Amino acid sequence: MPVLASAGGDTFAVLPALVLVPAVGALLVAVLPRRRPELLKLVAVATSMVVAGMSAWLLVAFDVGRGADMQFVFRQTWIADLGVQWLLAVDGISLFLVALTGVLFPIALLAVDPGHDDRAYFAWMLLLEAGVMGVFCALDLMLFFLCFEVVLVPMYFLIGRWGHADRAYAATKFFLFTMAGSALMLVGILALAFLHADATGGGLTFDLVELAEAQSLGTATARWVFLSFALAFAVKVPIFPLHTWLPDAHTEASTAGSVILAGVLLKLGTYGFLRFGLYLFPEASHHFAPVFLTLGLVGIIYGAVVATMQHDLKRLVAYSSVAHLGFIVLGTFALNTEGIEGGLLQMVNHGVSTAALFLLVGMIYERRHTRQIDELGGLQKAAPVMAAMFTVVMLSSIGLPGLNGFVGEFLVLVGTFNAHRWLAVAATGGVILAALYLLWAYQRVFHGPADGGNAEMRDLNLREGLVMAPLLALIVAMGIYPKPVIERMEPAVDALVAHVEAHVDGFHESTSRFGADIAVDSGEGHDADAGVGHDSDGVGDDH
Amino acid sequence: MVDLVWLIPAFPLAGFLILTFGGRRLGEPGAGWLATGAMAGSFLATVGVFLEMSGRDGHDRRSVTTLFEWVPAGDLTVDVGFLADPLSLTMCLFITGVGALIHLYSIGYMHGDGGFRRFFAYLNLFAFAMLMLVLGDNLLITFLGWEGVGACSYLLISFWFTDEANASAGKKAFITNRIGDWGFMVAIFMTFSTFGSIAYVDVLDTTATGTVATSTATFIAVMLFVGAIGKSAQFPLYLWLPDAMAGPTPVSALIHAATMVTSGIYLLTRVNPIIADAADWVPTLIAWTGAGTALFAATIAVAQRDIKKVLAYSTISQLGYMFLAVGCGAYVAAVFHMVTHAFFKALLFLGSGSVIHGMDGDQDMAHYGGLRRLMPITAGTFVIGWLAIAGVPPFAGFWSKDEILAFAWNENPLLWLVGLVTAVLTAFYMTRLVILTFFGRRRYADPRPDEVEAAWASATAAADAAVAAASAAVDAATADAEARGDDLTALEAVVAARDAHEQAVAARDGILAAAGARPEVEAIALEGAPDVGPVVDGLPEAVSSRADHHPHESPWTMVLPLVVLAALSVLGGLVQLPFAASTRRLEHWLEPTLFGNEVHLSLQGGTLWVLAVVAVAGGAVGILVAVLAYLKRRVDYRVFERPILAEAWRLDRRVADFMGGPGRVGFEATANFDSSVVDGAVNGVATMVRSEAGLLRRFHNGLVRTYAAGIGVGAVGLVVWFLSRTSF
Amino acid sequence: MPAMATPEVLWWALLPLLILSVGGFLLLTLASLFRRLPEALPQAWTVVTGLAVLVATVPMWASVQADGPRSFLGGMVAVDGSTVLVTATLAVAVVATALLARPYLRREDLPGVELYVLLLLSAAGGVVMASADDLIVLFLGLEILSIAVYVLAALHLRRIESQEAALKYFVLGAFASAFFLYGVALVYGATGSTRLARISVHLASTTLVEDGMLLAGIALLLVGLAFKVAAVPFHAWTPDVYQGAPSPVVAWMAAGVKTAAFAAMLRVLVVTLGTHASDWRPAVAALAAASVVVGAWVAVLQTDVKRMLAYSSIAHAGFILLGVQAASDRGTAAVYVYLVVYTLLATGSFAVVTTVGGRGDADHGLDAYRGLARRQPVLAGAFTLLLLGQAGVPFTGGFVAKLGVLAAAVEGRTYWLAMVAMAAAAVAAFVYLRILVAMYLEDPGADSVDRSEVPTGARVVVGVACLGVLVVGVAPGLLLDIAADAVPVLVGG
Repeated sequence: MPVLASAGGDTFAVLPALVLVPAVGALLVAVLPRRRPELLKLVAVATSMVVAGMSAWLLVAFDVGRGADMQFVFRQTWIADLGVQWLLAVDGISLFLVALTGVLFPIALLAVDPGHDDRAYFAWMLLLEAGVMGVFCALDLMLFFLCFEVVLVPMYFLIGRWGHADRAYAATKFFLFTMAGSALMLVGILALAFLHADATGGGLTFDLVELAEAQSLGTATARWVFLSFALAFAVKVPIFPLHTWLPDAHTEASTAGSVILAGVLLKLGTYGFLRFGLYLFPEASHHFAPVFLTLGLVGIIYGAVVATMQHDLKRLVAYSSVAHLGFIVLGTFALNTEGIEGGLLQMVNHGVSTAALFLLVGMIYERRHTRQIDELGGLQKAAPVMAAMFTVVMLSSIGLPGLNGFVGEFLVLVGTFNAHRWLAVAATGGVILAALYLLWAYQRVFHGPADGGNAEMRDLNLREGLVMAPLLALIVAMGIYPKPVIERMEPAVDALVAHVEAHVDGFHESTSRFGADIAVDSGEGHDADAGVGHDSDGVGDDH
Repeated sequence: MVDLVWLIPAFPLAGFLILTFGGRRLGEPGAGWLATGAMAGSFLATVGVFLEMSGRDGHDRRSVTTLFEWVPAGDLTVDVGFLADPLSLTMCLFITGVGALIHLYSIGYMHGDGGFRRFFAYLNLFAFAMLMLVLGDNLLITFLGWEGVGACSYLLISFWFTDEANASAGKKAFITNRIGDWGFMVAIFMTFSTFGSIAYVDVLDTTATGTVATSTATFIAVMLFVGAIGKSAQFPLYLWLPDAMAGPTPVSALIHAATMVTSGIYLLTRVNPIIADAADWVPTLIAWTGAGTALFAATIAVAQRDIKKVLAYSTISQLGYMFLAVGCGAYVAAVFHMVTHAFFKALLFLGSGSVIHGMDGDQDMAHYGGLRRLMPITAGTFVIGWLAIAGVPPFAGFWSKDEILAFAWNENPLLWLVGLVTAVLTAFYMTRLVILTFFGRRRYADPRPDEVEAAWASATAAADAAVAAASAAVDAATADAEARGDDLTALEAVVAARDAHEQAVAARDGILAAAGARPEVEAIALEGAPDVGPVVDGLPEAVSSRADHHPHESPWTMVLPLVVLAALSVLGGLVQLPFAASTRRLEHWLEPTLFGNEVHLSLQGGTLWVLAVVAVAGGAVGILVAVLAYLKRRVDYRVFERPILAEAWRLDRRVADFMGGPGRVGFEATANFDSSVVDGAVNGVATMVRSEAGLLRRFHNGLVRTYAAGIGVGAVGLVVWFLSRTSF
Repeated sequence: MPAMATPEVLWWALLPLLILSVGGFLLLTLASLFRRLPEALPQAWTVVTGLAVLVATVPMWASVQADGPRSFLGGMVAVDGSTVLVTATLAVAVVATALLARPYLRREDLPGVELYVLLLLSAAGGVVMASADDLIVLFLGLEILSIAVYVLAALHLRRIESQEAALKYFVLGAFASAFFLYGVALVYGATGSTRLARISVHLASTTLVEDGMLLAGIALLLVGLAFKVAAVPFHAWTPDVYQGAPSPVVAWMAAGVKTAAFAAMLRVLVVTLGTHASDWRPAVAALAAASVVVGAWVAVLQTDVKRMLAYSSIAHAGFILLGVQAASDRGTAAVYVYLVVYTLLATGSFAVVTTVGGRGDADHGLDAYRGLARRQPVLAGAFTLLLLGQAGVPFTGGFVAKLGVLAAAVEGRTYWLAMVAMAAAAVAAFVYLRILVAMYLEDPGADSVDRSEVPTGARVVVGVACLGVLVVGVAPGLLLDIAADAVPVLVGG
């Protein structure tokens, strides 16, 4: 079980710094003299670089030896009479999402210029970073909720003010959809805290670890509260059929907006499921797992199919996210180490790959002023380097072994297979579809004869190359040697799985492990039946 | 040396990296030489490992070298490690050997191509992936190579991407393969959840002890089989291979003939214990799939005119033989045929490439003919390849195919019969190919049917124009005469004009008559150049320009590999001669990797001899018929070239129609569903909120009495509620 | 003749009331004596008065916290934490309104003094309500407050809407007051006293055989108070009045009147009638639910920003009722927090509205806000913050306020109400987003003539409001503690 060890040994309170530095940077940007516009970007980038540096330091300083413990714990009472506190800490589950955030923001800031209202733009970006960092570090439910909600505002403006044609609609839709989703979660959080206080007789607290370890809610209550959380996360992920805000938001957002949205914000939901859903409500998670597994599967297939038919490159990538996140949901609710770890890896990988895809699409848009696939074609002739990068990113997104996309996807499927055979078998079909829509899009955009503007499109310039380079490096590195990542995640994930198993009676019967099928031929055919039988009752307890 | 096995894939990988990042300086031909050098180095490394390994005795011929942990997650641990054993080394030997030759060949073939460096980078990357595939010490590394070769194949097929057709072909190949990969992945999951490991050493040794439930083994075996038919282009997943010929010919030789497409057979051979433990119908399924595909593809090859298409279908057919062998438990025979096939099919492809190169990229055999004088070495080596594949002793193909047929008979005479018929067809279409290309008339200067058509059309058009002009002249003259009041000269002019007109009409009728009676131009003009009669000088420029251009022999870089491969195609049989245990070197060498699952022939020497003779006779018949049809022209070749065969039994088109039709419609429907129903629901809620609010707004009509009424009602409501709480 | 014992008087506790009323009357006298008052004087006067009250509350708070609540004037008036806090809040509202008033009056060139006088008087009424220890006194305060406000609403002589609004407000207000008075009578009949302390003691000690009269009385009291806080279905006047009345006055209505009315409601229901909570809680909960839903929902349809804010104020009232119906100390404290925060939000927002409204105080359509971010980025930014605060976005006071009442509701196990409220909040968010969209995402409309500079008064109000909203949002501790100490207690009896 994760222990909230004292902050001993940690040289400085790095986590509050991760949240505060960008916030301060935002203020700084806001008050910079009007005469020196060139400073705005400088300050913004510098700030995000500092944050990136700190998250890198976090990766290094993270002590693998301390297993599932929460590390870099920072605790500071905030709203005393509600027991709300600034409780920040990271473990293997949040570590890499923090790092991902740290990496993506400088890239997004460097890659594209807002074009107008720079001051507001950079301020919002930095506020957004602060909020996201808060989400990933918060171990206090109320603090988590605050950050979870507050990121909507900067994102709203980023989409709404610097987006494309239909941005007002997209931004409003995004804001309302996600806010409505999480409205009930606040009630859920409060209910949880008060019921816990009643049960234990102690004071009000929103301390995640304390609440989770106590498990003081009755089964039925816990299930209801879980649903109030699940709705919020399901919208954020998004899980089919709550996904329709995503294509609009992604398509209308500016390039940087899409990068952050896809790279970081889409992880809030899946992270929420892991960190809060499973940990706080193991029984309920297990109880409702079949629902989410099914929806995840639907998302995989559905997202891929719809993506195939898109005419707008950004929309296509957006729907591909729906499919990829389906995999993450699948892994999460497989409720075993392989699956959850795969899901976690997939979060990071999807962040990197999709960010890279959006950057490339953005570069194409800058040059050709269109995202319509039909209006593009044969770009590889004019822009071989861009084509090469696009190919690599595409292959990673398809899940080619040796690139980052594969490892996560594979672990997810392995985990799912051990828990729900036939679901995994079906989900693996999604792998075929992924190849379909991406290769088809690539063919239509980069292959074939090039005409007019497509023929003399210029290739990547140095800055763009430098922006892409780290992402590509990550794509390859995490595909070839994911071990450092996995071994930091593993203890936390194992602890989580153990926690779930401990609070679900008959957990083991519900998942088939190895050895099940190694039997002398007398047991012939038994395993297949086991598989079928298991799966049917798995889907059976949806309601 | 054995622990240096990682060097084998390291060389091509290094080559790829240098070409990709450092490669700007070394353009043509430097890039080519670098890549070739990498392959050569890899080959030498292989030989080194092989020599040491072959020195050991049976049970020691297996060593695992682990580089690092790749995916250590939960109970699953996957290493990046290499399994060096007879099977993988055999594969490596011909992959690197043939690979090196094809690299060398490509230097000449790709000469002057804009993407020269890119081409060799891809080629090295492919070699690396292929070697990972065969050397991997667990299913996942094999899968890594498996997908890697798929990706490289995609990149190389669509290498000339500006042509839509090539791009589509590449995509088709990748996606069709993905269907197979689905099976492979599921098999891996099952293996892991059964054994808790996916390392060959653990899995195979455990299975070999026979403690795995049949159903499990069956499941895994079938799923791997699905993967195998995808990669090895067996029915029904063969559709991508013919299209894959869109790639440069060396690619076809290396990837789509010699190496990648054989990985399916490698995989099944590798997991032979699992197949052995699977239900009995599994091997049978494999065998019949192979036999069926072999025959099916052979029939198609008979009617193709594109030289590479013939070879493509022939490859599918030969791979079918190998599946047949695996299905019959003749793993050695399968590997044996894999090796010899690698030799002669690579030779044939490279030969065809040389021809295409000489013919300036023309792949239609109808335009070839009599090229043996013009490109003697190509022709000579090609003939050897032909004899080898046609199963003529003592060439390599004879031995391997004969062994497979023997095992087929041993398994089930019907299988043998199918195999035999296929052999006859093979001999036939290969002979056809050789004759059409190297013997008979030189047809490259002939006017092509369409050109002749054009000539005739223009001739008739000209005639019509003449007539029109003449009649116009007549009218003019007549008018002039009337104007001049029937002056004598004018009248004569009229008469002259009329005569001229009649002549023009006569000429036109003559042309039309000739056009009507003209002989229909043959698709393949075997007898002689098509008779173009009066329109001979109406032919387009192209014809005459072709006439004074001569196909030429290729540069030495291309010819040398042909010679080497030809030699191998002659001698390849030596590795496994059926006469005595001592001559069955391959069988002895592979023995430890087969866990005693190699079936043993229960046939007498006599039977074997008979079978061999029958097979050879069959081959002879095939050759003879082809000669009669295409060289001696005793038989009309149209008898064999049925349209349905030319269109590959129209299966491909059916699939395409489905994908473009119902398939696409389904996808469209889903997309519409998303935008209309799912998103519609969301926006629907929004509109509902607004419309319902409309009702509420009616209450706020600005009239005091309404408001007062509201207060009154509210008050009454409250009072009623509170009174309902009274305690009496 | 027998000497009559004059009841004890705590002058220091009456100080705010005295300052306000005396200030009001003096101003009136001055105005009638001197035809020509310096134009700045009335405002200055009012602001100073308001600040004086604010200052006065500091020692009051100290002594109340030290020696506990006191009741005097023969148990007619009491002073406790809530009295002081509410008084302070009212003072802030007065200052803010005064600051907004002058530029407004100048722009509309309206005669000045009356507004300030009436403002001070109605504030005095509010203070009376906040310190009433007797239902009659409470009614007095209510009327003083209300009548002044009726007139304030009519202050814009040349706008017919203003007159109409005032009339509506007056008629309905009288109607509601009647209910309230009748309620007082019934409660008196049931308990034999109008003094809150006595009533509660009585109800605690004896169980009525027939509580019908009492309950009917509670019902009618509730009607009167619900009207003042504009809870559905007693809210209908709000949009019209807000739309018609002069914008600064509206700020006072939204901030001051609501505050005073809720203070009274807490004194009556939670403190006095706490014993009968089980009876009135469901009723109040029903009002709360109706208010949040109707308020948020109908606001969606509005195109006039003033009406939007009117409906949103109804929704806010609903939220505050969440805290009331909890009938717990947490709930009561939460209500005070909400009132303080809402005072900031409302004054700030209406300051912006006043400015944008332009000459004639008519420009309140969404179009008037088109591209405001271009024309007056700072003002737009401030308004953004205030709107986000109203939407209850984290790290603004709005969130802290909502969180408090929500927590109270959940603690009171009224989950359904909490959920309804949050759902409604999500709908309400759309309203505020529409204004943001207009300001940021739409190009300036045809009439994008650059508006005159933002008057200093408005600047101050908006600035202070924004600052307060942020401070409360980030460091709510102080306010929460104060509110917790301000929970009213009844003494005497």
